[in-house]
Amino acid sequence: MNLGVLLVDDEPLIRSGLRAIIDAEPDLSVLGEADDGAAVTPMVRRLRPDVVLMDVRMPVVDGIEATRRLLANVDDPPRVLVLTTFENDDYVFEALRAGASGFLLKRAHPDEVVRAIRLLAAGDSLLFPAAIRELAARHAPAQAPAGGLDSAGLTDREAQILRLIAQGLSNAEIAAQLIVSAETVKTHVAHVLTKLDARDRTQAVIRAYHSGFITPRDPYTNGG
Amino acid sequence: MIGAALVAPYVTLTGFVALALEGGVGVVAAWGVAIAACCVALPIATGMLAPVRALEIAAARLLLGVEVSDAEVIHGEVSWSTRWRSAAWFVAHVVVGGVIGTLTVVLPPAVVSACSAPFATGDVQLGRLDPTVPGGPGSAWIVPLALLSPVALVYLAVAASALLARVAPRLLGPSPAEQLATVQRHAVRLAERNRLARELHDSVGHALSIVTVQASAAGRVLDRDIPFARQALTDIETSARNGLRDLDHVLGLLRDDAAARAPTPTLADLKRLVASTRSTGIDVTAELTGRIDDVPHVVSSEAYRIVQESLTNAARHAGHVPVSLNLNVGTDHLELELTNPLDASRPRRSGGGRGLNGIQERVTSLRGQVTAGPEAGHWRIAVRLPLHPTS
Repeated sequence: MNLGVLLVDDEPLIRSGLRAIIDAEPDLSVLGEADDGAAVTPMVRRLRPDVVLMDVRMPVVDGIEATRRLLANVDDPPRVLVLTTFENDDYVFEALRAGASGFLLKRAHPDEVVRAIRLLAAGDSLLFPAAIRELAARHAPAQAPAGGLDSAGLTDREAQILRLIAQGLSNAEIAAQLIVSAETVKTHVAHVLTKLDARDRTQAVIRAYHSGFITPRDPYTNGG
Repeated sequence: MIGAALVAPYVTLTGFVALALEGGVGVVAAWGVAIAACCVALPIATGMLAPVRALEIAAARLLLGVEVSDAEVIHGEVSWSTRWRSAAWFVAHVVVGGVIGTLTVVLPPAVVSACSAPFATGDVQLGRLDPTVPGGPGSAWIVPLALLSPVALVYLAVAASALLARVAPRLLGPSPAEQLATVQRHAVRLAERNRLARELHDSVGHALSIVTVQASAAGRVLDRDIPFARQALTDIETSARNGLRDLDHVLGLLRDDAAARAPTPTLADLKRLVASTRSTGIDVTAELTGRIDDVPHVVSSEAYRIVQESLTNAARHAGHVPVSLNLNVGTDHLELELTNPLDASRPRRSGGGRGLNGIQERVTSLRGQVTAGPEAGHWRIAVRLPLHPTS
């Protein structure tokens, strides 16, 4: 399977570098480049990439707004992987809340860059669970909304699986831990995502942290 | 005891003035005028002098052991309320010192005389003081009194210094307005340093990101794509150099911070800024309308910085293109607009408008609005700042 990537960054040198790294992989190819968030939605419609690598800070339309527009206006949108210079960038969490599926440091090792793209496209496990937990900890609401995820009506099994997803476990790993089949896990995960109205694992985990269902300091999630 | 020493010239002068006047206006009037002039007006005038205040602060810290914070002097001016407070302190210091000093001098001989009174035959004068005590055993009562008086003097001196120590911070310390001004200046300086630190963080982070990505890419394609690798090396070199230049620049600013406590530039300095920008080869057309003098200091200095940063950005990203600057001071708002043609031949390179972040931050802190972006072949930045917090 060949994965198509759209690069969005206002710095041409970041784009050309990432393009060289991605195009060097046999299963990945860069379909196009944009230098601002404003161009993302039309380009996605035209090129149908699987993953969009999106810079957060851009002059006219930033990565957060571009992600929001993309997800609101395109059917079956691609996964958004947010690019950031700094790990502790407040915008990154904003972008995740806006619907991005993961984030990647620009200084990441090339192997990590291509792994992140593949992982995101597969949607099978959470990218950088520990980093997401840290971001969630810094942005945790002072008081979790009353009721947490009660309204979602998760079964005990689904709640358990949501916690394991937050730890970064893949379906196969969850299956091994709960001693059930991978197919069963897949079904449970699908139910969790539907009940939380989440398009992927990242969004489900962000919601879980935000609602206080999982607290970032929860010892149960330290496996991430 | 400094007070005692300080009182001497005033007392001596009083004596001279009184003696000089005695012939003309009579004894009582002469001494009255002399005391009023030399013991009240003159010390007050002395106390108002700024150097005297500084000396008194140093003396109070050293001798009374009190913590008196020295107000930073704004533009070399000491406010009148501060002058009056230092004068009050100086008079109190001189009076207390004078009284205790005099007592210290006259008391010992008086005590000795008093103790000899029960054994004397005639009237005994108390040292050089006027009252006399009749000699003989009938005056034995005065001995314990005389022996207690030095102790009382010590207590008096201790009490007086305690009292002075108590009022020192109020009379010598900064007034609430001065304290507020000091705190505000600290806050402004801190904010400025934070901003510089963030700019540095952004620009060096940006440069290093490019270096990392390009180096990774070059490593991946080295065998297959030598021209790309060569170009990557050039870009790495340029980015690293730019990062170092920014680092140097900001560290220089931070180092100069102490020296740069000189008045912050305001819109009044705009002409000089425009002239110095022109001297770098950039064609700046500036049009100013409205009264710049009416702009509050904070808004004025921030607006100056915004113009400065916008000009720098224009020079950095567009090169030597003509820049037009419009500044209008209205009744409630200040509006400034800076436009320059976009140079299509130059790729726009910037990490999401680093300079723009700084401007955005300044504008937000003043509750203004900013719009920036390409418009009809031009880069345009427009800023609107309220002149008053409520407008």
